[in-house]
Amino acid sequence: MSGIALTLGPVFFHWSPDRLSDFYRRIADEAPIDRVHVGEVVCGKRMPFSDPAWPEIIERLERAGKQVVLSTLAAPATVRERRSVEDLCTDERLVEVNDVTALPSRSGKPFVTGPFLNVYNEASAQYLIELGAQTICPPVELSLAAVGGMAGACPGAEFEVFVFGRLPLALSGRCYHARIHGLHKDSCQFTCEKDPDGLAVETLDDQPFLAVNGVQTLSNQMQAFCPAPTDLTSKGVGRIRLSPHTCDMVEVAKTYKSLLDGIEDPKGARFVLSCLDLPGSLVDGYFHGKPGRRTLTEK
Amino acid sequence: MVTENTEPRLAAVVRHLFPAFAGLPLGPLLTLSLRSLAGRQPRLFDRLGEHRTACYFIDPIDLAFAFAVVPDGERSIVRVVRKNEAAASSVLIRGPILTLLSVLDGTLDGDALFFSRIISISGRTEAVLALRNTIEDAELRPADLLGLRGALARLADTGILGALSVMRQMADRNSRRKAPEA
Amino acid sequence: MTSGRMELVCPAGTPATLRAAVQAGADAVYCGFRDETNARNFPGLNFSAAELAEGVRYAHDHGSKVMVAINTFARVNDVDLWKKAADTAAECGANAIIAADIAVLDHVAKNHGPTRLHLSVQAAAATPEAIGFYASRFGVRRVVLPRVLSVQEITALNRLIDVETEAFVFGGLCVMIEGRCYLSSYATGKSPNLNGVCSPPEMVTYDDEANSTVARLSGFTIDRYEPGEPVGYPTLCKGRFTASGKTSYLFEDPVSLNAGGMIAGLKAAGVTALKIEGRQRGRGYVTEVVRAFRKAVDAVEQGGDAIEIDRILAGQSEGARQTAGAYNKKWR
Repeated sequence: MSGIALTLGPVFFHWSPDRLSDFYRRIADEAPIDRVHVGEVVCGKRMPFSDPAWPEIIERLERAGKQVVLSTLAAPATVRERRSVEDLCTDERLVEVNDVTALPSRSGKPFVTGPFLNVYNEASAQYLIELGAQTICPPVELSLAAVGGMAGACPGAEFEVFVFGRLPLALSGRCYHARIHGLHKDSCQFTCEKDPDGLAVETLDDQPFLAVNGVQTLSNQMQAFCPAPTDLTSKGVGRIRLSPHTCDMVEVAKTYKSLLDGIEDPKGARFVLSCLDLPGSLVDGYFHGKPGRRTLTEK
Repeated sequence: MVTENTEPRLAAVVRHLFPAFAGLPLGPLLTLSLRSLAGRQPRLFDRLGEHRTACYFIDPIDLAFAFAVVPDGERSIVRVVRKNEAAASSVLIRGPILTLLSVLDGTLDGDALFFSRIISISGRTEAVLALRNTIEDAELRPADLLGLRGALARLADTGILGALSVMRQMADRNSRRKAPEA
Repeated sequence: MTSGRMELVCPAGTPATLRAAVQAGADAVYCGFRDETNARNFPGLNFSAAELAEGVRYAHDHGSKVMVAINTFARVNDVDLWKKAADTAAECGANAIIAADIAVLDHVAKNHGPTRLHLSVQAAAATPEAIGFYASRFGVRRVVLPRVLSVQEITALNRLIDVETEAFVFGGLCVMIEGRCYLSSYATGKSPNLNGVCSPPEMVTYDDEANSTVARLSGFTIDRYEPGEPVGYPTLCKGRFTASGKTSYLFEDPVSLNAGGMIAGLKAAGVTALKIEGRQRGRGYVTEVVRAFRKAVDAVEQGGDAIEIDRILAGQSEGARQTAGAYNKKWR
């Protein structure tokens, strides 16, 4: 038993309310995860579709004993989006802050900082801990050594790392799904719904490279970091985050649980993950301080 | 083709510009110029950082030879080399001599010339960038490179820059003649 | 926010460019130190402490201000390097420090009260709440606006905040929200936030292949050019890619920003300062662009019409294609 906890991050993609309900029902019933993030993070225009589904999902997850965290938008812009961030910040549940916009209304109450918030060093982390940050999930480009440096200097918070899923690499004011389909963001027709894991982007030489999801750009490859539990505990990491995809996330969660419990070794865990129906090949370069696209752990 | 009637004239101007070089070995002369510049403005070369020891192969396409330059301050070396000797260099910069000189004196923007493909570059891009930024800050005048001072320096600057400007105008006129009316 | 004359803020990558910008009419020049504390950490670029002190003297003697960008995110266990940069900038007499990292902002706020603090575009603060946070916590006096806002949105924003705003009007254009883009480190290991570089030059190759030149970054093909076709620098977000079976400039065409035609609109929107991008550009370029924008801003201040402004800025295209970016809502 490593004492490291498992988090399921927010869904980045535009999933229909039915898909969301089905997904979280299985997570509630079968996944060995203790904390689940819910809510739209990428695009405020999707919120009218998913908003009605959340109360029942939250209720179901909490009934199953999961801690629910309300994730907030990473790039709120309109009055409606800003109000949604503010409303969520008044909730008694834990809230994930993904933009500084949420800080004035959440300061003084406990929150999680998500990977969209720029926490790069121990001084910024400490500043946010004093405002109420309990869990810090730093930007994905930081190495495990860097996260360990922060964790060592900031005993007041729990540090979390993003170990599984396409890496959230960028956000834009422009919607690429709309652009690809010759539309504008303001009349986008929600074409992003057709790509529940994001739309693959290749180079002119057919190299898989990125994936787009509305205003978000992700890696084409899948982060699949499978460390030995001691590699995490020695760095002061207390929690790992899995990012939802259409593959069997219950299996992913079980695999990581086995890894953390010492039942599965890193090589075995990685092999199990590679057997799933994933949208891209496995990478883990960022954790080793290398380009994120690289794979440093042997298969 | 306009190049036919401009090239001999340009070559004549270039020859006219550097009468002092006639019979002098160009490599040793430029080596000494660069080293003396380093003696006068040591800070200039700091900007190059680790790229001081890189070898820059500079190939003026309209001259019969090329230069291999190691811009290592007072240990700088400039050699006049054959055009096929680029292999050992970290960086290859190729372009018309007038354009290369214009980059040196800051009249023309290296970036713009590169992107428009008037100058071509291959090899270690970061070394090119360091050199380009160093040249940018140096505000070099022809006299700096020739190690001249005082009235002679002013004379050289006026003469050379003036002549360069005339040549550029000539080249410009010719290229404009080529451009379609629009 | 202000009814005064708009300030023209111009880039300087070297002392020579700083002098050129001042001579060409810059109200303020921004620059950075020769290390990873600033977002233009390119080989051969930027200032030593001595050069900054000299630059500040020169600018002040000529009635211009100097702002120092310390706008990357401090590295774990190395925060002192960023704090030291801020200390040096203050000691050199810089008029303002431009920062994005909470650690740097906090340090300047606590130790360098008299030095103005500007929020870098790398902090990407686009809402009244975010800007309010930085203003109330650190005393930030000006916000450099992320390049995702339309002129209408800037107008609305300025009514809700009580700090100055600075807007980019010319030069390189980030398509992604600044300070929140890791595309570069994903491909190369180096990024704006970590190292102050995007698509670093040491990872760039131009390979001549059958009938084309291929620009690659860290092995990824970013674009391909026909013989004689102008090439571009392989910045990740300006490349050609394939998605859904279509090949296109998926994120952004290889264009640069030119919001010259929007100077009057930005003034009406309450913008205090106009910023020209390009600390990596040469002094010839900076001189020309600053001179043109100086004339354009003066013309706008004197009530000049759009045709006159267009004429002044007509030469500033470099042959490259341009866009008004997000200032025009259709960009999205």
